[in-house]
Order: sequence, then C-alpha cells, then structure tokens
Amino acid sequence: MTALLEARQVVVRFGGLEAVGGLDMAVARGAIHGLIGPNGAGKTTVLNVLTGFIRPTAGRLVFDGEEIGGLNVNGFARRGLARTFQNIRLFGAMTVLESVLVGAHQRFSSSAPALIFGGRAARAAERAMIARAHELLTFVGLGREVVDRVATTLSYGHQRRVEIARALMSSPKLLLLDEPLAGMNALEKQEIADLVRQVRAQGIAVLLIEHDMQIVRSLCDHLTVLEYGKRLADGAPEKVLSDPAVQAAYLGRTR
Amino acid sequence: MDYFGQLLANGLVLGAIYALTAVAFTLVYGVVRLVNFAFGELFMLGAFLTTSLMLPEVRLLGTVVPMPGFPLPIAALGAIVVTGIIGVVVDRIAYRPLRNAPRLAPLITSIAVSVVLQSLAQTIWGAEELRFPQFYLATLEPVVLFDSIYLSVMDLVVMATAIVAMLGLSLFIARSSLGRAMRASAEDQTAAMLVGIPVNRVVAAAFAIGSGFAALAGLLYAQTYGFAHSSMGFLPGLKALTAAVLGGIGSVPGAALGGLILGLVEALGAGYLPNGTAWKDAISFVLLVGLLYLRPQGLLGRPELNSAGRGSLLGGASSAGVGWLQAVFARFDALLTRGAAAGTPAAFGLLAVAVVVGLMVPSDYWLRILTMVVIYGMLASGLNVIVGFAGLLDLGFVAFWAVGSYLTSILFVLVLKDGYGIAPQEVWWLLYLNLPLAGLLAAGFAVLLGTPTLKLRGDYLAIMTLGFGEIVRVVAINWMDLTNGPMGIRGIPAPNLFGISLGSPRAQFFFALALAVVVVFAVARLVRSYVGRAWVAIREDEEAAEAMGVPTARYKLYAYAASGFVGGFVGVFYAHSQQYISPLNFSLFENILLLMLVVLGGLGTFIGPFVGALIWIAFLQLALDLPFVQAYPETRFALLGVVLIVLMVFRPQGLAASARVGLTMPGARAKEAA
Ligand SMILES: Nc1ncnc2c1ncn2[C@@H]1O[C@H](COP(=O)(O)OP(=O)(O)OP(=O)(O)O)[C@@H](O)[C@H]1O
Ligand SMILES: [Mg+2]
Repeated sequence: MTALLEARQVVVRFGGLEAVGGLDMAVARGAIHGLIGPNGAGKTTVLNVLTGFIRPTAGRLVFDGEEIGGLNVNGFARRGLARTFQNIRLFGAMTVLESVLVGAHQRFSSSAPALIFGGRAARAAERAMIARAHELLTFVGLGREVVDRVATTLSYGHQRRVEIARALMSSPKLLLLDEPLAGMNALEKQEIADLVRQVRAQGIAVLLIEHDMQIVRSLCDHLTVLEYGKRLADGAPEKVLSDPAVQAAYLGRTR
Repeated sequence: MDYFGQLLANGLVLGAIYALTAVAFTLVYGVVRLVNFAFGELFMLGAFLTTSLMLPEVRLLGTVVPMPGFPLPIAALGAIVVTGIIGVVVDRIAYRPLRNAPRLAPLITSIAVSVVLQSLAQTIWGAEELRFPQFYLATLEPVVLFDSIYLSVMDLVVMATAIVAMLGLSLFIARSSLGRAMRASAEDQTAAMLVGIPVNRVVAAAFAIGSGFAALAGLLYAQTYGFAHSSMGFLPGLKALTAAVLGGIGSVPGAALGGLILGLVEALGAGYLPNGTAWKDAISFVLLVGLLYLRPQGLLGRPELNSAGRGSLLGGASSAGVGWLQAVFARFDALLTRGAAAGTPAAFGLLAVAVVVGLMVPSDYWLRILTMVVIYGMLASGLNVIVGFAGLLDLGFVAFWAVGSYLTSILFVLVLKDGYGIAPQEVWWLLYLNLPLAGLLAAGFAVLLGTPTLKLRGDYLAIMTLGFGEIVRVVAINWMDLTNGPMGIRGIPAPNLFGISLGSPRAQFFFALALAVVVVFAVARLVRSYVGRAWVAIREDEEAAEAMGVPTARYKLYAYAASGFVGGFVGVFYAHSQQYISPLNFSLFENILLLMLVVLGGLGTFIGPFVGALIWIAFLQLALDLPFVQAYPETRFALLGVVLIVLMVFRPQGLAASARVGLTMPGARAKEAA
C-alpha cells in the first residue's frame, strides 16, 4: 500500500538559510507519525510545506496519490490536510462553536439566494454541521458550557482543544499537530495523547511535532528526526531513539 | 520642444511640491506605520499661515485683524514652525493614546483630525480664497531657457527649496543621533525600544519634521497658484500619499522620486492627452492603482509593509475612561447584549418603533431627516459588510452607490425622458426593476474593482480602493455624454407605485424603511451562515482561515459583491428621493463619513450602522441650535471629528459593539437545544 503523504527531496531556503535540505519523508495511512528534532531544526517549516503555507524551493508532494505541490493553502485543506499551529491561532471575536464551524467550511455549498431565502437544504446543512461540531467538542473533551464563549478567552489547554476540534471538523485524512502538548501539565499531556490515539482509531493519520520523548516513544508508530533541516533518522521509535546520532543531536541541544 | 519643455518645467514644480508632502507621509509611516491623512490639512495650514503673516491685515472669524506683513522667508519660517508644533500636538493628543490600539483606530482618527483641521480653518479664514500677496521675487522677469521655456524665478526657488530640504533631511537622518534613532525605529520599533531609543521622542520628531515639510509644500503651492483655501490640501494630500506609495512608503528617496514622477506624469498627461487637464487627477490615481497591482511595495519600498495586521480591526474594549462613563457604557452594553441575544424579536421591536415614529412625527422637515438616517444607515450597512465583517478597509464604496444612482437617473431622465420623450409616470415600474438591476451591476463592478486588490492588505488596500473611488468620481465628472458631468442630473422622478406618487416625505420614509428591512434581512441571512463565518475568519486571521479550507480570495470578492449590491440598490432609491444627483454626492468625504458612521455605531454589528447614522444626523441638527455653531456652521464638522477622536480613545469598538452578531443560522440553534 502506498503512503498517504509523501514528500520527496523537499528543499526550503529563506534567503541564504537552508531551513530544509532535501527531505524525504512518507506518512503511512492510519499512522501516528512523529516529527522530532532540536529547536530550530525545521520541523514547523516542514509542516508549513506539507500544508501549503510555504512553497518549497524544490521538491514534490504527493498526497493520496495526487500531486499537490501546486495548490494553494485552501486546496491542501480541501484534499484532507488539516492542521493546528504552534502558536494557537483561533479567530478572535468568534465563539467556540463558530470557530469550529469554520473548519467545516468546505462542506457547505448553499448558494447566496438559498441562504437569503432560507432554503431547506441550507438549514439542514447548518444543523448537521452544528451537531457535528458539538460531537467533536465533546470528543476533544470540552463541555457544553464553553460552546458560546469567545474562543480566545478560554484557558490555554482549552484553546488547544478547540483548535484540534476545528481541524477535525473538515474530516481530514491527515491531521498535522505542531507541538500540541507544549505548555501542558502531565495529566493534560496524557489526555491529549489519548485524544490523538482516538483520532487515529477513526482512521485519520496524524503527524505530530513533539519534544517530550517519553510521550513520543509511547504514542508514535513512526518517527522522523530532523537536524539542521536534514533527515537524521527515520523509522520505528525504538530503533530511532536508540540511534547514537539522534542521541547526540539531543545531547547537543541540552548542552 | 517648447511646449514639451514648458510642461516639463510645470511638472518639476508640481513634483517638488508633491515630493515635499510625500516626505511627510513617508517619515511618519516609517516610524509609526500610520497613514496620517491629516498632512493634507497641515499643508493647507502652512499655506494659510504664510499668506496671513505676509499680509498687512486678514479677516479672521469675520473680524479684520492687523498682521505683521512679513517678507516671504520670515513668514514661511513662522508658518513651518507653527505647523510643526501643531503636528506634534496632534500626535500627542490624538495618536499617542492609540499606539497599541486595534489597527483601524489610528487611521480613522487621522481622518477625523483632517476633518477637524479643515473645518476649523474654514471657520477661521472663511470659505473664500485668501489671495497670496505680491512680493518682490514674484515680480521679477521669468528666466527663458532655450528661447522658449519660461521659468519664473519663484519656480526656480520652489525647486531649489525642495532639493535643499530633501538633502538636509537625508543628511539629518544619516548623521544626527535623532535621525539615526528614527531610522532604527523604522526598521524595528520593538528592538529600538529595547535598546533604549526614546520612541516617543522619535515619533514626535517625525511628526514635527513631517508637518514642517507639509507646511513648506503648502506655502509653495499657495505661492505658485496664488491662493490659500480651506479645502486646498485635500487633493494634493492624496497625490502626495500616492507619490509616497509610488516611491515605496517609508523611504525618503522613494518619496522624492515618487513626487517627481507624479508631478511630471500629471503635467505631461494634462498637456498631451485629449482633454488632459480635466483628466489629470484620474491619471495620478490610475498610476497608483496600476502600481499597487504590479508592485505594491512601490519603487523603492520593502515588501513586508504590505503585511496583514493580524488581530482585530477595531475590537478590544478600551480601559481608558472615567468611572461613571464606564458605568454608563456597562448599562448600555448589557441592554445591547440582551437585545442582540433576542435576535429577531428585537429586530421586530426596533422596526415597530421606527414605524410608530414614522407615523407620529408631524413635520416634513423631521421626516426628511429621518429618511436620510435610514438611507445613510443602509449605505453604512453595505460598507459594514466589507469593512466590518470581512475586515477589508474599503475607501471606494461610494463608487457602488454612484453606480446605482447614475443607472436609474440615466435611464429615467437622459434616456427615456430626454431621448424618447417618455414621461417617468408611464414607466414607474422601472424603478422596481432598477433596484435589483443596479444591485447586480454594482456587485459586478465591485468584483471587478476588488480583483486587483486581493493581494493587498491593510493600509495599502485602503489606498488602492481610495484610488478607485476617485477615478470613478473623475469619470463621472468628465464623461459628459453619460453623466451630464458636473451639472449632474435633474428631474429624477420621485418614487411611484401604480401611478400613485410616493413623493411625500412620509411615503419616502416608509419606502426607505421597507428597503432597509430588505437590506438588513439579506445581509443578516448571509452573515449568519458559513459565508459570514468565512468573512469574520478572514478578518481575524486570513492565513488560518485559508488553512481551514476557506478560499479567502473568493470570499473577499463575495464580500465586495455583497457590499456593492447594497450600494447599488440603495443608490437607486437615493437618486429618486433626492431627485437630483451630481458627482459631488459621491466624494471621498461621503465614503469617509459612511466609514465613520459604521465605526461610531460598531463595526460588524447589524444595528451599528443605523446607530451611527442616527447619532450623526441628530447631532448635526442639534448642533445647529448651538449659538456658536449658528455663527460658524463649519464647526459642526469639527465637533463630529472631536467626538470621533474621543470615541477612538475611550471606546474604539464603537457604541453598539455589544450587539454582537451570532454567526450561526438562527433556526439551526433552536432545534439543537430541544
Ligand atoms: N519565514 C521564515 N523566514 C526566515 N527564516 C525562517 C522562517 N521560518 C523559519 N525560519 C528559520 O528556519 C529555521 C527552522 O525553523 P522552524 O520554525 O521550522 O524550526 P522548528 O524545528 O519548528 O523549531 P521549534 O522547535 O523551535 O519550533 C530556523 O532557523 C528559523 O529561524
Ligand atoms: Mg516549530
């Protein structure tokens, strides 16, 4: 079976800086794929490439058997790639429910007249999506009481969950999470890790950027390690994490 | 050659003046990222102050006041210093409190400052032109170049002054410590603050120098064209802004280059194009629009200036304000929040109040005023779609309004009545056809104008749309065959239904009210759906919206289209209710006024535009009862400006901001609770 997402020889240059240098990477269907590496290794940059935020200087992207390199960002989202951000980016002034509904944008199709004159189909679509939003909010562990609060006024942990629910709302094939556990306590980390497993259980593959090695080890099926924008190691977690080169990279970071 | 040479000389003089003013825009933009529209007015003040100081006596506030009658250089110096001080004071009072405010607040404030300064100038110096006095240098024989190009001595002085001022400024920025601090703040303000650069002093210096340059440009302009007038700064201000953008805003050499190019293009265009003088204002704006499309950062600018200001346009309550004021607002907010939560019943309640008011008000005078409130409220609602919901600062909205008004007027008056001799009563139904037709036409027009703006963000978008609005106005003035030009179109029939005239003020009020119901209903239905959610998402974080699968470019165009539709639709009724339209009805000032109404009421709410319109028009009427407003009618605009500035400081989110609009379909939520 072919990989869900394949990146081939991806290069990203910012002016003189080569942030990603000829990266090859494949995310399997239904896998939790960890992307790890020291600070500044280029992890976020890779995620930005995989979601269309950054056009790579060179390289190809194949998603679900289709070349997607030339699409614009919403095209990536429409093909089934949904993401969260390292620094949470919720829409200010929108309630939790409204923000999450934006994630379902591509699943609405009513015309302007249908919306203005209150077409039956338009109403049904709205109802269905609102029901789905409630489901997903419960799924990520948020209660009814937050639904009508302005999303940006929630606690940090809750905002993370809203962001994940918003991404899941598009029914993606691949969910890309940029350090979803950062800044959380041990209990919350466990909860989010469980959440990620449940996402996978629904057949959605996950690409996860994370620094906590214990969680990475227990959660991921496959790891890609980056250092200075290059692939340092790739494979099963046990094998990769015992690789001396990887350990050196991490030791190098703490030193 | 001689004709060309003469145009070249004119262009250089004009270019020098534009360049000096462009420096003002560029300097302040570089340091605080603010397009200070008020520089046009500081330009005008420079002209007035110089002229006044040179005369033996001047009429101020209607009384003759003796003046020193200084020679030009001393008068000019005095004017520059005074204007520089005014610039610093304006920054201190109006802009500094807004340094970290939502991104629309300073821009609106600068527009308000313009309005205040202009109406104060008109109050002080009157509505007449003040003639620039004769002085020795101006009486000298012109210099003749190549036997054919006549350059007055003063033309040479203008050019020399501009060159010296620019070189002096460049030297100052390069060499002095304050200049270097200025450059550092322009590069990165946070970093500058961290390394201990006194940013407030740097900003004050930028305002002082910028205002001085604007004053210098203004007095040279007054000298060249022989007069000073309270509205003289408006167009040169816009042109200078164009020049600054052309050169790359933030860059001083860019401003010089931009000014020069603009001056030359305008002079040569006026000279060589058929009917060029009439079209010369359009030339500048076409240049601006084309350039922003192809190279938004300008010739010498840096691309990152065209970056999105993330975060709210105007949101975020201000914590400034005295206790009792906040308490009053809190009461008011609670009421609005409850009203907004009630949704449809609250809307019906308001409609019922409007109907009762319409039935009870006895005087035609007040009915006419209320009709204007409804019209302006509707137009502001249209503008609110694009600015308030989608977050795109559109200063060209009046163009859509003009499309609607002209379409119906041209059809009824110029084509049917004048062309075919058909009386309007025979085709009364055409009005009802024109309403949606004009809406569609204006929507198409809006999409056409919107497309090239898609790449632009923030202030650049505002400037480009402003350019479009001005182009449309110049076209309306000059395309005589289509629009009757500046004479406008008279005799537009009052609305009529099955042969019954709806011309009475009361009938017109109810007609307007009915249209308002349609407009608010349609806008609300769109906003309370996935479309509105996409708009607000774009407003709040365009990139994140795109990542969620929203085709942001397409949805921006939808916002333009919806906004344009409302503009065209209301424009039709406007023409029939006024029965006379001319290009003056669709000036940039009207657009700014509409923007102010929305901001006053609350961006991104349904009721805000109407609250804004009601307050503004009621305010105008009430102000007319004040004795000093009766003596100096212009001061009411100044008062409005002051109100707006105060509002920006104390309540930037607008008065009715708490009437928050839900973004889900009303019925869909009710079911889910059951
Ligand atoms: N837009 C950009 N322009 C220029 N350089 C960039 C840009 N984005 C990232 N970089 C640089 O590219 C390199 C990789 O950054 P990236 O954010 O991808 O690292 P990361 O692995 O996600 O780090 P962290 O663990 O800190 O999040 C860094 O040196 C960063 O400074
Ligand atoms: Mg990162």
